[in-house]
Amino acid sequence: MIKKILVAFDGSESSRHAFDLASELAFHFKAKLLLLAVVRLPEPTTSMELGAVLDDAKEHYAKELEELRDRTSPRAIDFTALVEVGHPAEHIVAMAEREGCELIVMGRRGRTSVGRFVLGSTSERVMRYAHCAVTVVK
Amino acid sequence: MTEVWALAALWLGLALLATLIAIWLRISTALSEIVVGTVAQLVIGAFVGIQALGAKAPWITFLSGTGAIVLTFLAGAELDPTVFRAKWKEASWLGLMAFVAPFLGCTALAHYVLHWSAQASWIAGIALSTTSVAVVYAVMLEFGLNKTEFGKTLLAACFINDLGTVLALGFIFAPFTVRTLVFGVSAVVLFGILPWVTSHFFKKYGGRVSELEAKYLLFLLFGFGALASWADSEAVLPAYIIGMVLAGTVGKDHVLIRRLRTMTFGLLTPFYFIRAGSFVSIASLLAAPFVILALLLGKMATKIAAVLPTARKLGYARQESLYTTMMMSTGLTFGTISALFGLSHGIIDQAQYSYLVATVIGSAVIPTVIGNAYFLPRHLIPALAEPEEPAAAGQPAATER
Repeated sequence: MIKKILVAFDGSESSRHAFDLASELAFHFKAKLLLLAVVRLPEPTTSMELGAVLDDAKEHYAKELEELRDRTSPRAIDFTALVEVGHPAEHIVAMAEREGCELIVMGRRGRTSVGRFVLGSTSERVMRYAHCAVTVVK
Repeated sequence: MTEVWALAALWLGLALLATLIAIWLRISTALSEIVVGTVAQLVIGAFVGIQALGAKAPWITFLSGTGAIVLTFLAGAELDPTVFRAKWKEASWLGLMAFVAPFLGCTALAHYVLHWSAQASWIAGIALSTTSVAVVYAVMLEFGLNKTEFGKTLLAACFINDLGTVLALGFIFAPFTVRTLVFGVSAVVLFGILPWVTSHFFKKYGGRVSELEAKYLLFLLFGFGALASWADSEAVLPAYIIGMVLAGTVGKDHVLIRRLRTMTFGLLTPFYFIRAGSFVSIASLLAAPFVILALLLGKMATKIAAVLPTARKLGYARQESLYTTMMMSTGLTFGTISALFGLSHGIIDQAQYSYLVATVIGSAVIPTVIGNAYFLPRHLIPALAEPEEPAAAGQPAATER
């Protein structure tokens, strides 16, 4: 029985698909749906860039989360959204563990092999370190 | 005019490339622009000619200088006056120690170990005395420490540290003549009345499409910059203090700050950071990498020697003290500003400038990594103990329910 599902969201097309799947599962299992969006800051940052990134992220996610909330409300899904700052994989794994989630649902950005080699893949890291089941949606 | 437009297109093209690299590699635009500037100077210098990039052209120097001034102003305006008033005693001690020890220590290191001239050594001391408010704040945000008393004190201390740096930069090479006195007295008087004047002026005439606020602030920054320059001081000194004194008025005006950011980010800082990077000599860096290591170790050792005992004396636990020390060992913007000041005034040569910029970049990364890996005070992190508070203005690191 799944009681709590964590969906990682970054506004991309694949993370929308992940949200759709996670909300279907949450409705089916009557589970709590926890959405996590992680704002990744450039490193090492300057005051101006930091402020600009945070402001943009705040606006972006306020709009996105409002829309997602509207989509879940007709089905009466217990939905909570959180926005954090940091490294996405670390925050997703830590939150899933902290909140006792049984499932993580996330999208895959489809980076090239060079991109994956240079930057790594968030979904691969989550799959490696998560304490629970992970579903990656393309 | 063709040459100017072509040069402008080249610089904006480099800025565009730097931004794309920053997006691809998720590094800061400033760092990317410095690196692109360095590589562009190397490549263009080798194939077209050493002057082809035009880094010393007057209009590029002007845009770059304006970028440094506005960047410094915006950094000062980030100060939270309420937190500062509540924590000024602890913050002042920490900030002062974090400035004085590396300032004197790195000056001594450059002079006695690296055998730099006295004036060049002072520049090394100033460039390495800085701390990066932005780097510290980014780390605080990541762990939710920005909401704790510890985090707030540390951030306030960073402002004091950087204030020490800009004061040193502004006055260490000043001749202390009547002009210095005129500059000092008029600055103190005007800084005193500026918050009141600004707030009333904006209330009466602000909020129009003519961007009166931006023009007013640029007028202030250029005016004080000219006064500082006339007194043989440095324009970033009044810019930072104006930012700090207007933090409670301009700093709270989110819309205005965003407009200033757009102007600065889009046009001014690319010229500043690319120009700063274009003066870095890769050959010098490769020839003496141990100089960079020595300067970096010097900065970190002097920060440890001063900040650690001060933090312990202020009652911080060992872990918090070590973490505070590591965070206050960071630096980026003011370090490059100080080094570029030294180079453009002929105080340091290109090799010394290159070592300082490389050390400053290293100090923006290495202490943060060490601090987060070994000294993070996990017991203070609120996110692990309880759900976060609802989102406050300007703080997206929050819960939305």
